[in-house]
Parts: sequence; structure tokens; C-alpha cells
Amino acid sequence: MIEINNVNYTYKGSSDSGLHDLTLHIKDDETILLCGASGCGKTTVTRLINGLIPHYYNGELSGNVTVNGKNIAHTELYDLAGIVGTVFQNPRSQFFAVDTDGEITFGTENIGLPPDEIIRRKENISEEMGLSPLLGKSLFALSGGEKQKIACASVSALMPDIIILDEPSSNLDWKAIGELKNVIRGWKEKGKTIIISEHRLWYLKDLVDRVIFMQGGCISHEWNKEEFMHLSCDDLKKHGLRPINIEEKYIREFGSVIFSSGTQASDTISSENSIQIKELFFTYDPPKYLIRKKKLSAENSANYTLSIPEINIPAGNVTGLIGKNGAGKSTFLRCLCGLEKDCPVKITVGGITVSGKKILKKCYMVMQDVNHQLFTDSVEAEVLLSMNTENKAKAREFIKLLGLAGYEQTHPMALSGGQKQRVAIASALAADADILLFDEPTSGLDHAHMETVGELLRDLAKSGKTVIVSTHDPELISICCQYVLCLEKGRVKYLRKV
Amino acid sequence: MNDNKLKAKDFITVGIFTALLFVVEFACGILGFIHPYIVASYVVMIPLVGSIPMMLFYTKIEKFGMITIMSVLLAIIMFVTGMGWLGAPLIIAAGVIADLIAKKGDYKSFKLISISHGIFCLWVCANYFPVIVTAESYRKSLIDGGYSAEYCENLFRAINSKTIAALLVLCFIFGVIGAYVGKSIVKKHFEKAGIV
Amino acid sequence: MMKISLDPRTKIFMIFAVSFIVMVNAVTPLEWGIRIIITLIPIILMITEGKFASAFRFSVLYAAALLLLKFFISSESTGFISAILVGYCGIVAQFMPAMITAWYVIRTTKIGEFMSAMQKMHVPDGISVSLAVVMRFFPTIKEEYGSVCDAMKMRGITFGGGKVTKMIEYRMIPLLFSCVSIGEELSSAAVTRGLGAPVKRTSAYELRMKSSDLIMISIFMICVILFISAKYFG
Repeated sequence: MIEINNVNYTYKGSSDSGLHDLTLHIKDDETILLCGASGCGKTTVTRLINGLIPHYYNGELSGNVTVNGKNIAHTELYDLAGIVGTVFQNPRSQFFAVDTDGEITFGTENIGLPPDEIIRRKENISEEMGLSPLLGKSLFALSGGEKQKIACASVSALMPDIIILDEPSSNLDWKAIGELKNVIRGWKEKGKTIIISEHRLWYLKDLVDRVIFMQGGCISHEWNKEEFMHLSCDDLKKHGLRPINIEEKYIREFGSVIFSSGTQASDTISSENSIQIKELFFTYDPPKYLIRKKKLSAENSANYTLSIPEINIPAGNVTGLIGKNGAGKSTFLRCLCGLEKDCPVKITVGGITVSGKKILKKCYMVMQDVNHQLFTDSVEAEVLLSMNTENKAKAREFIKLLGLAGYEQTHPMALSGGQKQRVAIASALAADADILLFDEPTSGLDHAHMETVGELLRDLAKSGKTVIVSTHDPELISICCQYVLCLEKGRVKYLRKV
Repeated sequence: MNDNKLKAKDFITVGIFTALLFVVEFACGILGFIHPYIVASYVVMIPLVGSIPMMLFYTKIEKFGMITIMSVLLAIIMFVTGMGWLGAPLIIAAGVIADLIAKKGDYKSFKLISISHGIFCLWVCANYFPVIVTAESYRKSLIDGGYSAEYCENLFRAINSKTIAALLVLCFIFGVIGAYVGKSIVKKHFEKAGIV
Repeated sequence: MMKISLDPRTKIFMIFAVSFIVMVNAVTPLEWGIRIIITLIPIILMITEGKFASAFRFSVLYAAALLLLKFFISSESTGFISAILVGYCGIVAQFMPAMITAWYVIRTTKIGEFMSAMQKMHVPDGISVSLAVVMRFFPTIKEEYGSVCDAMKMRGITFGGGKVTKMIEYRMIPLLFSCVSIGEELSSAAVTRGLGAPVKRTSAYELRMKSSDLIMISIFMICVILFISAKYFG
């Protein structure tokens, strides 16, 4: 039983308050979904329950929170460890150990369980969740979905009654989301109380008992399961939520194709008005050589990670890049923007063919973690850095174009995620790249932000840029993509008009 | 709640910044392979470059012990990566003293932080300890082996027990200078971005 | 190949012994012999772990340094190049054993094992927890740094426009920002899983000294004693 009574909370150093007079009671065995736009306070609610507020984050708190009869404010975090477990958003940063076994047992070791009990729990959990192929591996070698599974196992090993998941699917593909769903279902069957804060709603619709919609730090709506299942698309849109019945709509369309085998018919795209890409070969396991490195070529391409002898990408359009995790989407983008030296790719744009280092000038990628590509101390300097010859007037133009006017002197890292992305796009425009590549730009975004990104991509294409965007969000494809390129095992499965 | 005791969060912060500092050391160490004389310039490079993470680290310190633990960790890592244990007393002593100095200013006074960083940087000299200790005996063995004394002089000119004093002083000076460099970068980026 | 898994404490002792021996110069054949033995043991251990390539590389490098030092550099060799060569070979021959041992230990020890070994040796929790974070963070820094370098390549600022300060700044700043934010999430994930509880941490790994540990410790013990007696008592 969780009782949150009249809680007000403000993070230290932040002017807008986090939560306003929030009251929420959660019964045992309930599965609750917290939804709402970014910044609506749903993560803050999860932190009230797992005790990170007030024990980890500093801020002003009033009202009281009790979990299973314990007053959170007077209970130390380590005493809560066996009661509330939390799975966080980013699989990359939440693990403590380096190997999977160590990570699963981490919590149980902290609370000082005897070794044979730890081993017993680890074995039980790995059997339940089917983890045996992952045991004994380095966490750094796992995919995002596998890491998230280990994170769930680690929480499970502490056997908490209450499990919190904070946007757990942000970095996962459909298959991994499916597995996550099974894990949650397993917990539900065991009678755990589950609280999920999430933007993606579709995978949770038959799991949740109650849905809490938050806005500006308050609970503004509550639906039970029945009502939630029958919300219309318009209702959801009105609340700024992502669709619930996405499976029916999209996964049948794309998913069934992605997960079926064999190539499929492609639309023919003439070489006019298109970007011709040739010899897109790459392998992470290059043939050993003694003196001269062997060039990657079509003859030996059978085992390559990526092997696309020739493809035309429609210029001035947005092309969505889809495929399973590990299908080579990221490699495709990396090769295309010249980050893989060994890839012999040649790109022809408007009759001019470039290869090698010159590709770096033609293509620009906005990375999934955009924090890596912001270097300077102001938005303006960031854009100027990309220009061959600094031109302040032009830089301001780009900044304005992307709706960042007024932020010229702000530090890029002080901006929100979406704004940072737009700074990166502004730099790409300043670098005068013709081809813009986006690596999963909408993972972890709420519906409104996703629409903004979609419109932005469409506008970029309209202004003559060629945009290729890899994504797991079918909604994004429906918003902005004219073409879809599907990859499987590093080969083109099809390229079609939407 | 006992607020003077270090908590799990603090230990994690120490771990992260120790890793970053050691990466700086390691990067400079690789440069050292280009020419042995570059090894002597560690006393300039590591305090200056390392000051960026260090000054960010100082902004996160509120309690006694974090710098001390960092020095112990550095000593352990140096030991495990095969650089011997001779430097350990120096590293840890530098860490404890640096911690005490910064504590005097409640980890807020920049003047004391800069001196503290200067002292802390003395750990860089521990890199030379194995070479200095072995150099003496190594030179002897070369002379025993028939090399001319002059030749050996040339070989070991940069590193011997006399120059170590000079190196320690340099470490301190560049540590203090580094504190100012690091501080300005922290201000330019991290304060402006609202991270600290 | 049979794998010889050693207790982390044995491994720590190995490093200790080896770094002791490399501190003292070797002159007589017996002393050199001991050095070569303590270099060969970790190489053999590496082979039993299936790390053939590294074992091969280390042995070739070490052998080359020894041979050069023995046959090609004599009292007549003067001049810049041979000075450098002597310097390199000296350093390699001198410190290689310690590096090889360290490499072997780092590559074959799990963090969990290492932490429980530290616990058995009564190292305070604060230090072992921080040390575990250091170990976990090295690969993270490598990953993050890789991404930052890619981003720099795309921007064409890998060399910071020729300025060393910019080169360092462009690498350090994004790296620090990511590390700080990863650290933030790591801390909250760790404390919600009970890190810092005032109980004695336990470990899933049960450490026990086996016969192979005892043999290894004795070998290194004998080497150290022989070396000291050869050196100082003739």
C-alpha cells in the first residue's frame, strides 16, 4: 500500500515546482501507469516512492509519503531496498558491475544476504527470466534490451513488493519491448505492485489496472483499464499522448515485414533526383592482413556486417530506416557519414561523386546521444564552429530557423533534450551538409516533441536536404517519412514509398 | 542522520573522478613512450590537464575523506598496473594533506583549494619513483657492464634523485596554476550550464 | 587447455613480488634467470586462459629487448640512436615483467572477486566501492570518448584548429558532461539497490585458497628470497 498525501515538491535550484498538492493512493497488487508530457512530474512521483526524494535529491518537500506503513522521509534508502525496486531509463548508466552475474547479485550483496541464498536467488531468477545465455558475459557487450533485462533481474533479486519502472522502454526496439512486457507480466502474476512511468503506451495496455495522467505536477485525469482501452486516438492526441493501439496500426504493417525473412519487392527509384550510394560494405571482423589491407569489396561480401552494393536514396525526401536491433542501421549511418574508414562507400550527389574523407563534409549525423556532439559554451559558438568561414549573420539565421532565437548565448548543455537536438541540426546546416542522418531522434520523447521532430525533418527535406532517419517509432514514420528503407542483417530488404 | 560521514553517492563520485584522472595520466603516459624526456614533462601536463576534472571534483566535495580516498585509489591503481608501491606513501600523504587544507576552507575557499590541488598534484611524481630507484642501480650495472660513465650520465641526466626535488616543486606550481585553469573552464562550461 | 584460476589475493601477491624484483637491477645470470622465470609464469598463465595473441606479443617484445640488450648494445655503442635504444630496451627489460603480470591480473579478475578479496583483507567498504566504480568506469569512458571523437570527426575539429588547448577542451568537456550524468544515474540506481547499508557486504563469490594458489605463492616467495640472497649476500 502506497499513500502519497498532499505532497508539494520543488527541486533545489529550480524555479518551477515539481509537484503540486499531489495525493495518490496505490493498493497492493495494482499496476499503475503514469503518463503525461515530459516534465509533467511523473518521474518525480516515482522518486517519492523509492525514497530518492528526499534522501538523494535536494529540494523542498511537504506532505507525507508512506510505503507499506513506513514513512519514507524517516526510512533510509537501504532499508527501502528490499521493499521498493527501481528500473531506470538508461540501460547504459544504471549498472554497477561489469559482468552480468555481478550485476544480478549486486543488491543482494549490499544488504548482506548469505552467499548460498544469493546464488539460489540468482539461479531462480535466471531460470524464470531465461537469462542463462547472458550469464557470465560482460555488460558492455550486451545490447540495450539485454542490459535492461539484467537490470530487471537485479531488481528482482532483492524481491521487493513494489517495482517502479521509469521510462524503461526508451532505448529499446520492439522485440526488446516485447520481452520487457513479459517480465512485467511475470511480476504482475506474482502479485507485485508495479508503477510504470512511460511515454510508449501500447505495450502496457493489457497490463495496467489504472492509468494516471499528469499535467504540470498535478494529477489531471485518471482512467481505469476499460476506459483506457477505449480512448480514441483524438482523446489521446488531445492529452498529448502517444497512441495505444499502435500494434494494430503499424506493427502489422512494418513489424511483420521486419520480422519475416527474405527480401521483398522494392519500389524503383530512378537515379535522377536521388543520391546514389555505391559499395557500402563494412565488417566489424575484417580479414587479417600482414602488409596491405584488403579493400572491402563485393566479392567477399558474404560475411560482411553491411553489404549494399548499390542503392538510390530519393533526394529531398525523408527516408525512414527501420529494422531489428542489430540489423545494421547504426552501421549504415556511420558508414554513410564517413566515420568508418574501411568502408569504401562512394556517394554521388548532383553528379559529383565523393568518397573517403570528403564524405564527412557531405553528410552529417545527429547522434542518438546528442550530448556527445556539443562542444562549446554557447549556442552561437556551436553553430559558428561548424562553418568554414565564420559568419555571424548566417549563424543567427540558422539559429532562428530552428526556433532557438533568444538562446544564442545559452550553454547548449543547459537546454532541454529537444533543444539540444536542434542545436546539433543547426550545426549540421551551418556545415552545409547535403545529407542529414538521424540516429533514433525520438527515443524517449513524448508525443508532442515527437511531432515537432517529425515536422522539422519534413521541413529540412523541403528545403532540399536529404534526410535519413533510423527509428523504432512507427508514428514518426507516419508523420514525416516519404520512403522507408528496411534493413535485415546488413542487407536491403526493401525500399518503398510510404 | 550523520551528515559528516561519507555516503554511497560520495564513493561513486570519487570513483568516477579517479577514473577520469587516471585516464589523463594514462594518456600522458602513452606520450611518454615517444621519448623518455617527455616523461619529465608529466609534471606540467598532468596537473594542467587533470585540473579540469579535478576542479569539477572539488565542486562536489563537502566532506572530509573524498580526496584521501582518491589518493588511496590512485596508489592502488598504480600498484596494480605494475608501477610499484614505492610511490604509495607519497600519493597518500599528498592526498591527506590536500584534503586537510581544503577542509580548512570548508571546500569552498578557492585560495585553499588551489593550494590543496597543488599539494595533491605531488602524486604525479610517484610516476618517477620506480625509475629513480632503479636508475641508480641500473646505471651501476651499466657501468659494471663496461659502459663509460659519461655515456651513462647522458642517459640518466633527466631523471635522478636530485631532479626529483625540482620535479616536486614544479608539480606544486603547476598544480596551483592548473587550479586556476580548471576553475575557469568549470566556470565557462559547467557553471554556465547549471550543472554545478 | 586447463584453466588455472587463482585467488585474487594470490594475484595481488604476484604483483607485489614482481614489482619488488623489477625494482632491483639484475647482473648475474642467476638474477636474470629469476627475472625471466617470473616473466614466463604470467605468460604461461595467460596461455592457459586462452589469451594467445597477447601472450605471444608480450613474449616477442620481452625477448627482443633482452636480445638487443645482450648482443647488440655494447660499450662501444654511442650516439643518439643507441642511447634511445638502450633507454627503451632498459625500460622494457626492467619493467616488462611487472606490466605483464598486471595485465594478466586485470584481464582475469572479475570485479566481484576483487571486491570480496579486498573485503577479506579488511579494506574499508568505502575504498572497495569506489574502486569498483573506477573499474566500471574505464570501459564507460572509452565508449563515451569514442563517441566524442566521432562527433569531432564529423565537425572536422579533431585537431582543434591546430590549438592544443582547444584539442583538450573539445575532448574533455563533452566527456565530463556525459560522465557526470552517467554518474548521477549510476548513484541513484545503486542506492535504491541498497548500496551503503550499514551491514557487512557479502559476496556471491566464495574465495578459497586452493593448492594452485599455494604453489604459485611459494614459487614467487622462493624467487624473491633467492633474488635477495643472490643480490645482497652473494
